[in-house]
Amino acid sequence: MSAAAGGGIPKIELKQLTIYGIIGGILGIYLTSYLNGALVTGYFAFLAGLGVIAAILMGSEAVRTVCAYGIGTGVPSIGLMAMGMGLVVSLFGLSIGGIAGPIIGVVLAMAFGYLIGLIANKVIKMNIPVMEVALMTLGGAGAITLIGLSVVISGGIDYQQILDTVINTGYIAVIFIAGTLAILHPFNANLGPDETQDRTLVHTISTGALAMFVAGLASLPFLGSGAGVLTMLIAAIIWIWSFMWYFKLVKRDASGVLGTGLLPPGGM
Amino acid sequence: MIAFDANMVVYILEIVIGGLFVGVGVHFVPVGGAPAAMAQATGVGTGTVQLAAGSGLTGLLSAGLMMSVTDNMLMIVISGAVGAMIMMDATMIVGNWVYIYGVGVPPVSAKTDYDPITKDPQPPYISPGTVGHGIPTVSYVSGTIGGLLGGAGGSLIYYSLMNINENPGLSGFFAIGIFVVNAVLASYNIQGTIEGFHDPKFKRVPKAIQACAAASLIIGIIAVLITGGV
Repeated sequence: MSAAAGGGIPKIELKQLTIYGIIGGILGIYLTSYLNGALVTGYFAFLAGLGVIAAILMGSEAVRTVCAYGIGTGVPSIGLMAMGMGLVVSLFGLSIGGIAGPIIGVVLAMAFGYLIGLIANKVIKMNIPVMEVALMTLGGAGAITLIGLSVVISGGIDYQQILDTVINTGYIAVIFIAGTLAILHPFNANLGPDETQDRTLVHTISTGALAMFVAGLASLPFLGSGAGVLTMLIAAIIWIWSFMWYFKLVKRDASGVLGTGLLPPGGM
Repeated sequence: MIAFDANMVVYILEIVIGGLFVGVGVHFVPVGGAPAAMAQATGVGTGTVQLAAGSGLTGLLSAGLMMSVTDNMLMIVISGAVGAMIMMDATMIVGNWVYIYGVGVPPVSAKTDYDPITKDPQPPYISPGTVGHGIPTVSYVSGTIGGLLGGAGGSLIYYSLMNINENPGLSGFFAIGIFVVNAVLASYNIQGTIEGFHDPKFKRVPKAIQACAAASLIIGIIAVLITGGV
C-alpha cells in the first residue's frame, strides 16, 4: 500500500468520533442490560446493537487514520489486531468487573492498544505518529464491539450468561469475524487517492448494521423470536438506508456511472 | 474471583513462549502480498495475517483433537505443529500449481542468486519487471518451518489456557486473540512481505522477539486471570 492510500481532510475528527463511539457504545450496553433486567424482557437488545454501530464508526475512522500512512501489511491486519486485543481484554473486564465490567474492559483494551502502539513505534520502529492513538481507539472499538454484540445475543452483561450463550455455543466466532469485517472493510473497500471520509463512514454504518443483523439472528434461541426479529428488523432498515446513502455518495465521487446494458445475444 | 498461585507464573511463561513462537514463525512464512497475487513477487499471494491465521487455526483444531484424548503437553504441541505444517504446505503447493500451470511462471526467488537448498541459479528465471514469482524450494522449506513454529505456539497457548479455565470455546478464542496480536506485530516488523529465512529482512527477527515478548506478557497476565465459569 502506498502512502497516498488515504484521502482528503476529515470533516469529523477522530477524537470527536472516539467520544461519540465510547459514550454511545457503553450507553447502549448498559441501557440494554438495565431495561431488559428491569422489565424482564429481551426486546431492548437492539440498543446495544446501535451502540456497536457507534463504536464501529470510531474503529473505522481509526483504521482510516493509521492506514493512510501505509502500514505495508494491508488493512485487514489492523482490524484483526483490534479484535484480538478487544477479545481477551473485554472478557477479562466482564469476568472480574460485575456491573462495571464493560467499562473496565474498554478502559483496559484502550490501555493495551496504546501499549501495542508504543511497541510498534519504539521497538519495531514503524515511526507512524498516530499509531498509539489509533491503536488505543481500535482497542476500545474492538472491546465495545465484542461486548455489545455479546449483549445483543445474551440480553445482559452477566458474565456467566454471556459464557453460556455466546462462548460455549460458538457464536463468538461469528461476532468476532462480523465485527472485524465491519471495522476493517469500509476503508479497505474505499481506499485510494479519491477516498473521502463521509463515503467511508457511511459505508461503515452499513457494515455495522450487518454485524448487528448477524447478532440479532444469533439471539433468536436465547431472547425469543420477538426480540431477535426486532433487532434484525432495525438492522435491516439501517442497512437499506445507509447503503442507499452510500450509493449516492459513490455516484457523487465517481467521474461517471454508466449502465452497460445486458450482454448481447450470443455474448455469454 | 482472582486467585494467584505459582502455577499461573508457569502458564504465563507458556503463553509468552507460545507468542514468541508465533512471532518468529511469521518471519519464516513466504508472504508476497498483493504483488505476489499478480505473480510479480515471490511468495503466497495474500497477507501475513491471513496465512498465519489459516495455519494457526488448523493447528488449534488438531491440538484440540489431541487434547480430547491426552493431557500430554508435548503430544498436543506436536499435533498442533503438524496440523499447521500440513495447512501451510497445502496452501503453498496449490499456490505453486496456480503459478506454474495457470500463470505460466517458474518459481524463483529474487533475494538470492542461488537457491540455498537446491543450489539452482535464480536470476535467469526472473521475469523482467518482477521481483521473483511462485514459491521456490527454499521458500517452501522456510514456510514449512513457519507452520511448525506457528502451530506449536498456538497450541501451547491453547494448552495453558485450557489448564486454567477448562472451557474449550474460551481458550480457543483467547488463543486466536493472542495469536493475532503477535502475528500482526511480526508482520509490521517485516513490513508485510518476506520470502523466507534467506530474505535480508529475516535479520529483523530480534526486534520481533522483543515486541512479541512484551505484548504476550501483558496479554498473558490478563488471560490467566479469567475464569471459565461453572
